[in-house]
Amino acid sequence: MSEASAAASGEAPARLVMSGISKSFGGVSALRDVDFMLHAGEIHGLMGENGAGKSTLMKIIAGVHTQYQGRMVLDGHEVHFRSARDALAAGIGMVHQELSVIPDLTVAENVYLGKQPTRGGIVDWRAMVEGAREHLASLGIEVDPKARMGSLAIGLQQLIELARVLFSGARIVILDEPTSALSPPEVHRLFEVLRGVRASGRSIVFISHFIDDVLAVSDTVTIFRNGRRIVSQAAAGLDKAWVIERMIGRGHEELEESYTGTIALDSKPDAPVVLAVRGLGAGRAFADVSLDIRAGEVLGVYGFMGCGQIELARALFGKLRPHTGTLAIDGKPVRLRNTADARRAGIAFVPESRRSMLFYREPVYKNMSIAVLGRIARLWLRPGVERDIARRHADALSIRPPTVEALVQSLSGGNQQKVALAKWLSWPPKVLVLSEPTRGMDVGAKDDVVGIVRGLRDQGLAVVVMSTEPETVLSVADRIVVMKKGRIVHEFASEAVSKDRLLQAA
Amino acid sequence: MPAFLRSQMRNIAPFVTLIALLVFFGVASPSFASLDNAANILTQISVAGVIAVGLTFVILCAEIDLSVAAVANATGIFVAYFTLQENYVNIANVPLPGWLAIVLALLACAALGVVNAAGMTVIGIPSFIMTLAMMQIGAGICALLVRGQIAYAVPDFVTAMGAGSIGPVPWIVIVLAVFLLVGHVVLTYTRFGRYVYMVGGNREAAEYSGVNVKLVLGAVMVISAVCSGVAGMLGVAHFGSAQQNEFDGYLLDAIAAVVVGGTSLFGGRGGIGNTIIGLLILGVLNNGLDHVEIDSFLKILIRGLILLAALIINVYVQAVRESERGGSP
Repeated sequence: MSEASAAASGEAPARLVMSGISKSFGGVSALRDVDFMLHAGEIHGLMGENGAGKSTLMKIIAGVHTQYQGRMVLDGHEVHFRSARDALAAGIGMVHQELSVIPDLTVAENVYLGKQPTRGGIVDWRAMVEGAREHLASLGIEVDPKARMGSLAIGLQQLIELARVLFSGARIVILDEPTSALSPPEVHRLFEVLRGVRASGRSIVFISHFIDDVLAVSDTVTIFRNGRRIVSQAAAGLDKAWVIERMIGRGHEELEESYTGTIALDSKPDAPVVLAVRGLGAGRAFADVSLDIRAGEVLGVYGFMGCGQIELARALFGKLRPHTGTLAIDGKPVRLRNTADARRAGIAFVPESRRSMLFYREPVYKNMSIAVLGRIARLWLRPGVERDIARRHADALSIRPPTVEALVQSLSGGNQQKVALAKWLSWPPKVLVLSEPTRGMDVGAKDDVVGIVRGLRDQGLAVVVMSTEPETVLSVADRIVVMKKGRIVHEFASEAVSKDRLLQAA
Repeated sequence: MPAFLRSQMRNIAPFVTLIALLVFFGVASPSFASLDNAANILTQISVAGVIAVGLTFVILCAEIDLSVAAVANATGIFVAYFTLQENYVNIANVPLPGWLAIVLALLACAALGVVNAAGMTVIGIPSFIMTLAMMQIGAGICALLVRGQIAYAVPDFVTAMGAGSIGPVPWIVIVLAVFLLVGHVVLTYTRFGRYVYMVGGNREAAEYSGVNVKLVLGAVMVISAVCSGVAGMLGVAHFGSAQQNEFDGYLLDAIAAVVVGGTSLFGGRGGIGNTIIGLLILGVLNNGLDHVEIDSFLKILIRGLILLAALIINVYVQAVRESERGGSP
């Protein structure tokens, strides 16, 4: 795993050399003294956990982050991009996980976006359609250039966005999680196109959580951990376990927050099933999801960004209407037409974004009472009761400041999260669904939340915790299911589980 | 600016505007500052005021209802259509007992509100477009019922409420006061009122708290239509006739009253108190401009400028709040 062996593509010249790159955000170090080399005609896989630094490095390359230490040399010339436009002009393009295609325009218009061929000041449609057809065909993409973008499958849209980036003159293309929404045949087709691009001498950086995909297509892989480059290595012959080991480390690095030990899952297979999910599916988001959510148990749902868990959580709360499948509470089938139905059925939900859960300009007590207002007041409000209930929760969850009149916008993030949780606790629901309950919190606040969730479980609530962070799931779950591309692919119950096994399964 | 003043800007600015207008007209015209004229102003704002009560609910939810004037007009004509008209009125009307005509008219305006609500919540048409269509539908109903004619008679009870008075106080002002009071009580002291503010404050959060957002939105559209209908009946009695395009100016007046008063166009902030101030500003402005020597055509422009100023304050206050919040999401 020495530097020399990294140059797998033999004598191909270095296209991009970065050395000694460091970058920090407000005192928090995101990249530490990172060296990175990309050759011409190379597919370079980039792996690492969330926050390991791979995205930060790519944003420096793509001109998004302009303040950093270190040197960047492109084709033998030192460069320092001032903007994404700068980087694009130098031949560096990026395809994001969330595509930026325009669904209401045709394929040809998307390919030529911003630089339509004109004749006498009028868009030359024929030239555009023919040009787009030729360009796409040269990449091996067969599609009618006059088709409306939005009518195409997501995999095809992605290829067309890639084509557009190449068409705009990019010699280095950065792909962020390109396979997360693709079916296996689509992944196969993407890889074919990427190999064609490589053959033309252009370079590709492939960032992904899907280790198998990275290993399948890359010439070289680089692994990041805690803002450092751990290793760069020819991809041939590497296996998934080897990669995971390097991604999560051995646990003795400084500032290591990773879980490396094994956790014994204390599942309760005999506890009564509160919410039974059978064959639930919704469009492209998820399919054929069956789960038993049990009283007094925390079910963790782990998966990468875009694996369908966000949509699944919404379907459980009546916000998203599933197309297939059934839900049953305490054995009785329920149909959730809206979130009010879900609340009445005893389901509570805290979404991943506090912004979509809190009323910032309202005082704490109104934020807490909103979900249980129907129980407190039929017609007339009873602000005294609302305040009493809120005060009880503020004490129990040690919310600071301890006054329920404070506007939520004046609270810290961790305290806001507690308020979002507290709103469901006055009349505890049967099922509590939490999406990313600890995202962006400091360690102390995380522990608080884990404590609250455990306390609710011990009162007999059925809790579902959805997260893209293995630590979150491992720290709180009694049973874990792993979602991948919209399906449940593995279940860990009553056994020992560790982070690397979780990553293996995903 | 101190934080408290800034946070109360929404309420202070309209109040200061009102005081300034009162002082200005009081000084500029000797006939303005009299008890009689005060009664005049209150009477003049009554029809727009009843509409504005319903519209306050809608705007608090960050929606809009452009059909209020058309629904008012249609309801006014509807109630006249079911009242026996004089011989010289050439309308194929269907005379019914007065109470039945009133009940039918109330049902009719509620039905129009339900159509608005269904278009928005079931089909998903934005309120701006949905109520624009309803504006045309209301005008169409008016046209069909009166066919270019003018009807004069309305049920006695409606005549009494719209044109009568008890002692020195016109009934129409009392009706306005009752509507304002009920609107305020509902918004401030009931669960439904709380839902209105929460849906307006953060619709997504309301939905994730298990509030039936569509039901709340539907309800405010029906409330708005019924308020408009009542205002329409009062209006035809007040003006003494029912005809097409009679209420055209009231759409702008009602929206202006709510917004000038300081209720946020983005929802969740404001209330009936603001609407009262907004109504008084509009009433004082319209009335005061008649008392000073001014080109009557210029009046329209001045009203427009005042509305623009209020909108600037309304949006500016929101922008200040957003930027304050930006740091701590």
